[in-house]
Amino acid sequence: MAELITIAVVSLYFLAMLGIGFWASKKIKNTNDYLNAGRSLGFWMFVLLMIGTVCSGMSLLGVSGLGYKMGWPTMWEQIFVPLSIAFCIIFFGVKLHNVAKTAGYVTVQDYLAHRYQSPTALRTLAAVAGIIVSFIYLVGQYTAIAIVLIWLFQIPLWLALVIATAVTMVYTAIGGLYAVAWASLIQSIILIGGVLIMAPIIIFYAGGFTHVNEYIASVNPSLAMPWMPSGAFAIPYIFSFAILLMVGLACAPHVINNVLAIRDVKYFKWAPLVAFLIYLIAMVLLKFTGFAGLAMVKEGVFSLPNVPNAGDFVILYGIQYALPIITLWAVFAVIVLAAVMSTTDRLMLTIGAMFSWDIYKKVLRPDADDKSVLLLSKIVVVLSAIGTMLLAISPPEMLASLIWMGIGVMLATFAVPLLAGLYWRGATREGALAAMSLGLVSSLVVGFLNYFKTVAMGIEFAKIPMHFSFYAFVIAILAMVIVSLLTRKTPDKILDETQTGWYISK
Amino acid sequence: MFGLPDITLIVFGVVTIIAIAALVYWGITFKGHD
Repeated sequence: MAELITIAVVSLYFLAMLGIGFWASKKIKNTNDYLNAGRSLGFWMFVLLMIGTVCSGMSLLGVSGLGYKMGWPTMWEQIFVPLSIAFCIIFFGVKLHNVAKTAGYVTVQDYLAHRYQSPTALRTLAAVAGIIVSFIYLVGQYTAIAIVLIWLFQIPLWLALVIATAVTMVYTAIGGLYAVAWASLIQSIILIGGVLIMAPIIIFYAGGFTHVNEYIASVNPSLAMPWMPSGAFAIPYIFSFAILLMVGLACAPHVINNVLAIRDVKYFKWAPLVAFLIYLIAMVLLKFTGFAGLAMVKEGVFSLPNVPNAGDFVILYGIQYALPIITLWAVFAVIVLAAVMSTTDRLMLTIGAMFSWDIYKKVLRPDADDKSVLLLSKIVVVLSAIGTMLLAISPPEMLASLIWMGIGVMLATFAVPLLAGLYWRGATREGALAAMSLGLVSSLVVGFLNYFKTVAMGIEFAKIPMHFSFYAFVIAILAMVIVSLLTRKTPDKILDETQTGWYISK
Repeated sequence: MFGLPDITLIVFGVVTIIAIAALVYWGITFKGHD
C-alpha cells in the first residue's frame, strides 16, 4: 500500500495542474486564445512547450529501455529528436509564423488551404490524417502513465488511467493552450531537473561512466559502437531514422502548431540552440541510465520483470535500487507523469483544433460563430481524452510499433506538402493532394507489411534496410514533383502572400 | 577513453559539434522580421 507521503506528492502535482487550468480559463476570450494562447508565448514558455511536446512519457521509459536493449547505436535518437525541435523552428516556424500573423491562421491546415488554394479537400485530408495519427500517439502516452501509477501505487490499470486522464482532460479542456503552455513550463522543469538529478545517481551506483561502457562492451562489442553491423541501427537504418525523427516529429501536428503561438519571431533566433542543448543533455543522461541498468542486470545487482517489454522497466528498477526511499519514487512518478501529460495535453488540444476549426468551422459550417467553435473545441478535447483512455484500457499488442508507425505516417503525410509548399514555387494543389494521400496510404501499407513480416513481390518486408517510412517519404516526394510538373501552376499572388520560395526569411 | 572505442567518441563527438555549430551560426545570422 502506498504511503501517505507518496499520495501527497502526486496529489500536489495534480492539484497544481488543475490550478493552472482554472487560472488559464479566465484568459480565454475566443478561439484564437484557446488554440494559440492569443499568440502570446514568450521565449522560455515556447522553448519548454516544444521540449514538453516532443518529450513524451513513452520516450522517458522508452529511451532508457532502448538503451538497455541495444546500447550506444541507439544514442542517435538523442541527437535526432532534439534536432527535430530545431528543424521545426528553422524550416517551418519562421515562415509559418510570419505568414500566419498576416493571414490570421489558427492551424497549419489554414496555411495548406491558403498555399494550395484547397479550402476543402487538402484541409480535410490533412485534418483527418492528423487526428488519426494523434489518436495513435495518445493511446501510447496513457499506457506510460499506467505503467508508472501501477508500479507506484499497485492500483488497477483502469483506475490509474481514469485518474491521469481526468486531470489532464480538465486542465486542457478549460484552459486551452494557455494551460498547456504553463503546465509544460512546470512539467519540463520537473522533467529536466528530475533527470539531471536522478540519472547521475543511478550511473554512479552502476560503477560510473567508464565502468558501464567497458562492461556493456564486454557483453557484446557492438553495444559500444556507433552503429550495429546489420539490421536495425545499421548505417542505412540510421540515415532513415534521422529523417524520421528530425523531419517526421518536426511536422507532427501537435509540434508544428506551436510555432503559431509565439509572441515575436525574434525568439526563433536562439530557441533552436537552447532547446537542442537542454534536451540533448537530459536525454543523453537518460539513455545512459539504460546502459547502466544493463550493466547492473548483467552483474546480477537486480533483475527485471519477465515481460516482453522488460527494458521499459529498467529506469524504474534502477531508481528502486539506487534510491531506496519511497518518497523519491513518488517524485520520479511525477517526472514521468509530467512527461506524459506535457504531450497528451497538446495532442488533445490539437485534435480539438483540427476537428472544431478545420473540419467544423472551415468545411461543414463556415457560418458558425466563434462561441460555438470554442465550445466544440472543448467538447472534442473531452471526447478525445475519453476515447483514447478506453483504447488504452486494453492496449493493442502492437502498441509500441504503432507509436513508431505514428511518427512514420506523420513524416510521409505532412513533410512533403509542407516543405514543398514553403520552398518550391512549382508545387501545385494536385501535387500536394497526391503527395499527402500517397504518402499516407503507402506508409500505412509498408508499415503493416513490415510489422507482419510479410513477403510480397519478392520483397521480405521484415528485412528492408531502412525504416519503412523512408520509402513512403520517397513516394510522396516523387508524387509531388511529377504531379506538380503536369498540372497548372499556382498564381504568383498566392505564392507571394504565402512567402513561397527558396529562402527562410527575406 | 571513457571505456569506449575511438570511433564511437569521434562519430558522436563530430556530429554533435557540427549540430551545435550550425545552430550557433543560425542564431548569429538570423534576422527575422515581424
